Amino acid sequence: MTATPTATQHKAFSLARISAIASNTLLELIRLKVFYFMLLFALLIIGSSFFTSKFTFQEQFQVLKDVSLGAMSIFTWLLAVLATAMLLPKDIEDRTLYTILAKPVPRFEYLLGKFIGVLLLLFIAISLMSAVFVVVLYTREQDAIANAARYVPDNAYSDQVKSIHAACFNSNLVPGIAIIYLKSALCAALTLLLSTFASSWIFTIITSVVVYLIGHIQPIARQAYLDSATTSHLTKVFLAVVALIIPDLTSLSLVDDIVVGNAIPMLIFVKTAGLGVTYICVYFFVGYLVFSGKEL
Amino acid sequence: MSTPAISIQNLTKIYPIPFKREKVTAVQDLSLTVEPGQVYGLLGPNGSGKSTTMKIVLGLVSPTSGRTEIFGRDSTTVESREDVGFLPENPYFYKYLTGQETLRFYGKLCGLSSAKIRDRSKELLKLVGLENAADRRLAGYSKGMLQRIGLAQAMIQEPRLLVLDEPTAGVDPAGSREIRDLILDFKKRGITVLLCSHLLEQVQEICDRVGILNHGALIREGTLDELISIQDQTELILENATPELLADIHALLGKSSARLIEERKPQKTLERYFLDVTGTPQP
Repeated sequence: MTATPTATQHKAFSLARISAIASNTLLELIRLKVFYFMLLFALLIIGSSFFTSKFTFQEQFQVLKDVSLGAMSIFTWLLAVLATAMLLPKDIEDRTLYTILAKPVPRFEYLLGKFIGVLLLLFIAISLMSAVFVVVLYTREQDAIANAARYVPDNAYSDQVKSIHAACFNSNLVPGIAIIYLKSALCAALTLLLSTFASSWIFTIITSVVVYLIGHIQPIARQAYLDSATTSHLTKVFLAVVALIIPDLTSLSLVDDIVVGNAIPMLIFVKTAGLGVTYICVYFFVGYLVFSGKEL
Repeated sequence: MSTPAISIQNLTKIYPIPFKREKVTAVQDLSLTVEPGQVYGLLGPNGSGKSTTMKIVLGLVSPTSGRTEIFGRDSTTVESREDVGFLPENPYFYKYLTGQETLRFYGKLCGLSSAKIRDRSKELLKLVGLENAADRRLAGYSKGMLQRIGLAQAMIQEPRLLVLDEPTAGVDPAGSREIRDLILDFKKRGITVLLCSHLLEQVQEICDRVGILNHGALIREGTLDELISIQDQTELILENATPELLADIHALLGKSSARLIEERKPQKTLERYFLDVTGTPQP
């Protein structure tokens, strides 16, 4: 052991500290066996592809994409909420938070590390789901090509294969999945914000689910109330505030366009992604402000 | 004069009670100083404000008024924690990490290089007697082992100040003695220790100075000699004293104005007796 210790210099911001917390959070979440979700997802899309074997290949691909992207959206959301809700309460309850913050770790870095850990988990989850989805889609495409070889006349075969390729994989899939990821990241940021002041993780989960539902129904409610002549000024202000605090989550989805094979213009993708990233940053920053003043 | 390890000046902490107009005063106008190299015992009944004081020193709770400093740095700032190691009461670290991984994690939080973490981990695991359990997951550690790995993580960045909250809570007598010896070892190395404990006997054994809190206020403070010595009494402990010698002493006493209050055989502490009969090695 060395001699009497001396004063140490402090680094105001450290990527090493953030990465230590993020990788530990990822390990913690993986050990919670959250990847059972993946098994359910694989069963769901493989099963759905069997039920559609009597459909035309266009219908088969459409249903497969619809089910897979819908399931991806729901599973990543569930994963985001469940994984994030317990992070802070567990560290507080086990007093591990005390040992971490008693080290020279700013609260901002702790919270950011935790959040990045969740983002990494969601990234792994969506990558695995995408891989399963692509494998199943590819298998269905090969089936469709094999059927074409058997039943389609030679002179129409190459056109048929081209149509199968066009209906199966298209470039829309990547931005579509990216938006699903962003939506789950937004839900994780919201859940993290709620957990900074919630008294229990059950409250956090319930509130997060309620906000998710509001985010999906608020555009309908807003339209109905704003179109009505009897809506008071106060209600309109309230709706505007709700719309500002909770984003329109229906706009954070490109699944419908992907399923029917519509092209997604870059501008729409950038705008949608920009909306998601903005809300993620705002939720995280407000969460940090609450957490920085929290008495532990 | 050297900068105090801990300086607390007129510290007050008031907690509002949610949905009520009432407030709870956890700490009231507390001032105390812990000098470098001292082992300072902060005592008090439950709810006396010990934990709140400790949390304020560590920057986990903000004071309502007053100021706390660690080696001259405002303790509300993150940089003051460069000099601090903390072991909370009944700590639960990440159970899926091994002892070695736990130290690596805390080492990274302190900004240590991989080589430094490796060296320090080896050194500390040896110091706390967990060399053989370094690769075991913390889920399989006993209570005493958890406290010891807790001490090791607190020491990872070679802090100048250790804050220990009930470091022997729930630990068996042998484990408790090991932790006591570790604290004494830290003291020898010049590390300042702020210790909160209900085990008064242990505090008496290792602390240089003691502060007693009650209802958030410091009611007594001083060295153990100042606080608990009975100034007008003297204790003689004799070995192999013959009956003749004792008779002479009694005769001398009879000629003086001094009064014999008690004459008895000294006793071992129950802890020492327990350690003797269980065959636990002692320093």
